[in-house]
Order: sequence, then structure tokens, then C-alpha cells
Amino acid sequence: MTETVVEPDAPAARHAVSPWLPCILAWLLPGLGHLRLGKRRRAAVFFAVVMATFAMGIASHGAAAAIDPLQPLTYLATFDNLALGPVELISRRLTYGRIVYRLPEDENEPARVALTDRLRARVRSVTFEYGSTFLLTAGLMNILLILDAFDIAVGRKD
Amino acid sequence: MIRSHFLNMVIFAALVAIFFAFLTQKETRDRVRVILILGGSMVVLALVMAYVMYPFPLR
Repeated sequence: MTETVVEPDAPAARHAVSPWLPCILAWLLPGLGHLRLGKRRRAAVFFAVVMATFAMGIASHGAAAAIDPLQPLTYLATFDNLALGPVELISRRLTYGRIVYRLPEDENEPARVALTDRLRARVRSVTFEYGSTFLLTAGLMNILLILDAFDIAVGRKD
Repeated sequence: MIRSHFLNMVIFAALVAIFFAFLTQKETRDRVRVILILGGSMVVLALVMAYVMYPFPLR
């Protein structure tokens, strides 16, 4: 005799929310993705923590990374900064005086010299390393929030 | 701007611990435990490492 096994609804069936919208919202503003998914308390805490981390980075004279073809690790750092969403433009503007994502390749180009001079001015601050670490950490936190929002939206997590 | 290295470290550890507590736990009690263990470990281990590295570089 065969036994019929009734499986519970797949987790994904419990959520009718598209997983991509919370991810985009989470990128636009930390915590917004969780708010869209009805996790109000978590959204408020995530927003406060990520923005506090970002604010500490700004206050400690941290610098936003820009892609420097001569230094491959700057690709990762710039991607990490970008993960924070539009808020990241503030730190970029404060670091370089304008919105710039890539340094000119030629070391003698006046534009590159001007940008690196602005960067050096921040490096001289005693808390520069802390500030940059705070800025990078805020970006990493938001990457995790985007992934977490996706997991909640598809039902892998409550 | 906070110039104290120790205070910067404590604030960093607190923010990261709170973040992971809310990311990984659902109950308030569990979250508090994660904050204390994770935040405390980061600060204590950093101080231990600082003392271990104190004699270096050897001259």
C-alpha cells in the first residue's frame, strides 16, 4: 500500500512579494527592504546601525575608494562603497570634491594629481584608517542586508 | 571626530555586534547574548593581540 505524503507549502509560496524589489529598496536605503517586507523593528535597527557606521566614517575623515587601475584592490573597495546606495555619494563628494569613481590612469595627468592630493589631505588625519574602515563596513553591512531581504522575500528566512 | 583608538574600537565592535545580533537572532534574549559575546570578544581579542604584538618589531 502506498502512503500519500502531504508536504507543507514550500516556503516561497508563503510570500507573494517579488524578491527583487526588497533588494533594490535595501540598496537605495539601508533597512528599506526589510520595511517593505513588514519587518519594521529590524528595518529601524538596521537603518540606525548602518547609518551610524557611515556617519562615524564621515566624522573620522574616512575616504571613499575610487578605482585606480594601478591598484587592483580598489575595484573591490569601490564596489563595497557603492553597495551602500546613493548615500555613498556624500562620502565620495567629501573625499574628492566631486563625484568620481575612477582615477585617470596616467600618473601625470592633472586631474589625477588633483584627486590624489585631495585624498592625501584625508590620509593625513589620524583617524583616516578608522574612518575608511567604518565606510567599508557600512557597505559590507548593506550587502548582507540586501541578501537577507532576498532570503526573507523568497521564504528562506522569517 | 573621536581620536581615542580604544573608543573607536569599542564603537566599531558595538555597531557590528548589534548588526549581527539583529541579522541572525529573533528573540531579544538571544540578541543580547550575541551582542555581549560578539562585541566583548572583538574588544578583548583586540586588546590581547595588541599586547602579544607589543614586543615587535624585535630589535
